[in-house]
Amino acid sequence: MNQENKDCYVVDGKLALPYQYFAGRTGSRFLISLRDKKKIFGVKCNKCDKVFVPPRQTCERCFENISNNWVELSDTGEIVNFSVVRYEGKHLPRKPPFVLALIKLGGADTPMTHIVEGIEPEKVEVGMKVKATFSDEPTNTILDLDHFEPV
Amino acid sequence: MSEYYGTTVEDIFKTQNKRFRAEGSEGVDAVFAYDVQGEGGGRWKLTIKDGACATEKLDSDDFGEYSVKITVDAETFVGVTIGKIDGTEAFTAGKLKVDGQIPLMMELPKLFTKYAPPGKEVTAADILATSESRFQPENAEGLDITVGYNLAGDGGGQWTAVIKDGTCKLEEGLRDNLTVCNIVKAKDFVDLMLGKLDPIVAFGAGRLRLVGDMEIAQRLPKIFSKFKSNASEPVEELIMLKKIISVDMKYSTGPTMGKFLNGLKEKKILANVCPKCGRKQLPPRECCAVCRCDVDEFVEVGPEGIVTYCDIIYYASPDPLTGETRETPYGALFVLLDGCKDREALWHLLKKEDLVDVKRGDRVRPVWVENPTGSVYDIIYFEKVR
Repeated sequence: MNQENKDCYVVDGKLALPYQYFAGRTGSRFLISLRDKKKIFGVKCNKCDKVFVPPRQTCERCFENISNNWVELSDTGEIVNFSVVRYEGKHLPRKPPFVLALIKLGGADTPMTHIVEGIEPEKVEVGMKVKATFSDEPTNTILDLDHFEPV
Repeated sequence: MSEYYGTTVEDIFKTQNKRFRAEGSEGVDAVFAYDVQGEGGGRWKLTIKDGACATEKLDSDDFGEYSVKITVDAETFVGVTIGKIDGTEAFTAGKLKVDGQIPLMMELPKLFTKYAPPGKEVTAADILATSESRFQPENAEGLDITVGYNLAGDGGGQWTAVIKDGTCKLEEGLRDNLTVCNIVKAKDFVDLMLGKLDPIVAFGAGRLRLVGDMEIAQRLPKIFSKFKSNASEPVEELIMLKKIISVDMKYSTGPTMGKFLNGLKEKKILANVCPKCGRKQLPPRECCAVCRCDVDEFVEVGPEGIVTYCDIIYYASPDPLTGETRETPYGALFVLLDGCKDREALWHLLKKEDLVDVKRGDRVRPVWVENPTGSVYDIIYFEKVR
């Protein structure tokens, strides 16, 4: 079919999906400490003798409400495992390649996921010691703890 | 009005009826008299009967008949109400006197839900009023600029921050030849300043528009330090992020829809006609939905027509193109344009003023924008021909 295309054109559109994310009470306190005190807090279950970070309202083992047992954790920890992100996405916090690692902080029993910077991705190793760097610009997100760097 | 613990006696009684719990009032037929003394005090009477509560402010100290009378100073009253002062202690200390049927006092927690002091909402004007104190001269060296704030909606207004020689002055109104102008809804502006709305997302979604020198616009967060709300210490800060996921899209019109949109540019409404069955399609489509044959012939229809159906929408979902919700109520109608028949109606919006008396069969005409661009919204809406 030989059709003229003078009438064809492309309209720019934008699909916008507004939503609200509520961090919850426990999550809020965690984020506020990162933002205002530049300190990482976890919650401890006295019964199970476990410290969880990121904090949770109930113990995953005994279902006890532990949301008031806040404990301060060290800002250094050990890489338990990691992954190199090599694709670009608008939702991702960094340009690829960057390292997302599971980091077990001093005083915690669970690892938390965060970005590791200041080292080439190829040189990251399990067992490596890393230290938290906090953000100067408040974001009200986990990125108030900007990233971890090798000690 | 005197405030105690950030609230007033008046505020508390104003919410009394709202806080009343009919389900907790079964069998209660009583009149509570309150004599609140001292600054910010007053006299109130709560009449509870038949599962309803009436609150009355008295001008004199004549309470008439009452079941129980509470005499207390304003500060203690507010303190006890919001839980800062223990009621029993105040009673034992003689700061709160109860006269009449004292056991009725035990019913109060059942009769009313707890009073929560109102959180003071920060307005755009409050935030802008702090511009001069938030100004960081060391980050504005050598700048001679004017920054406009054109804030729409509730609590909006127009302001200009004039930055020159390391000083900042805020003026009302917009100056001419602004270096950069922020165009945003007042509500969004407050959210942006409080960190509840991400500026990059707001900008991407078109909710924040910056006109003028973009380089200066990007420096603004450094020129002004972050706004800190000094509303009396929040009891508990809870983090809620308002985000807008925005996905850029491109929509290819194809020649058929393209011809329709091009027609709108000339303020013409074009339908296409099936060569087999003669049915018109509006908006036009590539092939006839009934005969499944190609449709090439276009005819101009309208511009006037009659209403075949109208919806009045009170609860709107957000427009996926902008993330904005249309102001409600609005009317959405199907118009059978002149030259069309049966179900060949076009969907569009109705003028707000016509919502009151629109009905099926009404004659309507399109109202066009001044400079059509080839969009369905080149027609702003249809209005009734009166």
